Amino acid sequence: MVENARRSLVESDERGNPTPQWEVFVRAEAADPMRHVGSVAAASATEAHEHASRLFGWDAADVWLCPAEAVERYSTRGLATDTEGEESRVNDGADGNPEVQDA
Amino acid sequence: MISISKLLCDLDAEGDGLRYDAAEGSEKPQITEKKQRRPVVVWNTTRRCNLYCSHCYAGADLDPASGEFTTAEGKAFLDQLADYGAPVVLFSGGEPLVRDDLVELVSYAADQGLRPVLSSNGTLITREKAAALRDAGLQYAGISVDGLPDRNDRFRGEDGAFDAAVRGIENCLEVGLKTGLRYTITEANAPDLEGVVDLLAEKGLDRFCFYHLDYGGRGAEIVDADLTPQEKREAVRRVADMTLEYHDRGEEIETLLVGNYADAAFLVEYAREEFGEAKAQAVYDYLERNGGDPTGERIADVDYQGNVHLTQFWQGYSLGNVRDRPFGEIWEDESNPLLEALRNREEHLKGKCADCQYQSICRGASRLRALASTGDLFEPDPQCYLSDDEVRGGEMGSMVGGAAD
Repeated sequence: MVENARRSLVESDERGNPTPQWEVFVRAEAADPMRHVGSVAAASATEAHEHASRLFGWDAADVWLCPAEAVERYSTRGLATDTEGEESRVNDGADGNPEVQDA
Repeated sequence: MISISKLLCDLDAEGDGLRYDAAEGSEKPQITEKKQRRPVVVWNTTRRCNLYCSHCYAGADLDPASGEFTTAEGKAFLDQLADYGAPVVLFSGGEPLVRDDLVELVSYAADQGLRPVLSSNGTLITREKAAALRDAGLQYAGISVDGLPDRNDRFRGEDGAFDAAVRGIENCLEVGLKTGLRYTITEANAPDLEGVVDLLAEKGLDRFCFYHLDYGGRGAEIVDADLTPQEKREAVRRVADMTLEYHDRGEEIETLLVGNYADAAFLVEYAREEFGEAKAQAVYDYLERNGGDPTGERIADVDYQGNVHLTQFWQGYSLGNVRDRPFGEIWEDESNPLLEALRNREEHLKGKCADCQYQSICRGASRLRALASTGDLFEPDPQCYLSDDEVRGGEMGSMVGGAAD
């Protein structure tokens, strides 16, 4: 019996910077395997395809796109830390906005 | 980055080893004794910013964004960079000072053997914060000033931003933190170029970084505000002239050009005009060791959500995410056809870039500008301002292979 690797779920809700990310998969030649080649930022699948085509389309037989937030990720590596209860560490001013300082 | 002061005035700086494999001959303590084998990593620690600049490559916003690293995740990421051997981590944003754990992260980076440096709008740097960052091990603060008060504040979307940035600069200098000024030129602020350099000298700063506009983030929305290539050439000439003038007066200001490697070719031509053929050859040799545009090689970017980018300006495409896979693995994975193509771009460059005599010191300049302007990754950079004679070699002969004489 094969022992499973200790993978943990990678939090990936609302991936985007700030435009939604689309994972890009490319098959370069017809007989090649489909492979993951990163992600592009785009507002729609059509725009993502155009963007990916400019980057990879010069010789790719197939291009697939998937909304990044729809991908459930399990990994043995990455930034796995005990972060339960931790939140983003952005400083708020009194009204919730960081302001230009006087001094 | 191309150091005019190093190339034309022989002014040594801590980055010589990184840029020109010239650590051995430099009188300044060096960031690294070896030629740079790993990228300088820009880390957009947050998307949030207290300003809203019209040219922001990161598309920073006044509102917070989801998915930013916690402190623990930030430290795990810094571990990844240290394990990989990144020489420098540039804390950027958004505005990195809106993170209340910035000092802690800078300290952690320094403890891991990374060289922590900062890119900031300066407006939140109090004297106390500057001292805390210095004590944490921060090695350098680059502060953006994009013009004199009126133009800077329009660019940055807030009245008083200029004065606040200058106070931030003063606070850094008062606590002994090495500080430089960053200026991105567009039509909107080009008339202030000399005034900004004079301000720098007046405040006692000794480092000026001149940025070309790249067409990423909000920068892509103001392409029409970019200078024409010829205007850009004249602006670079003014920076070179000012560098020589300040140097002749005994004021050793380090001046750097960022974001357009047509500048490398221009500096060879400039050196020939001003100093003769031997100096032009020496400048060329330094720039050949520098290796031209660093996209996907000597510069990397990781955004606030962990997406790895080819440069800080190229936020629309990501190689992978450090939450899924360590940075070093992503950066070394040349099975990615785009990364492989960029690292072997000489085989793909088109048009005048394909046969340019300066290809090895420029390498096609900004592939992002080419992509944004033409839709083709390997067409010439629209901001190349070299003449046909300069591209072909003309009557002066070819620089390639040391045949300039």
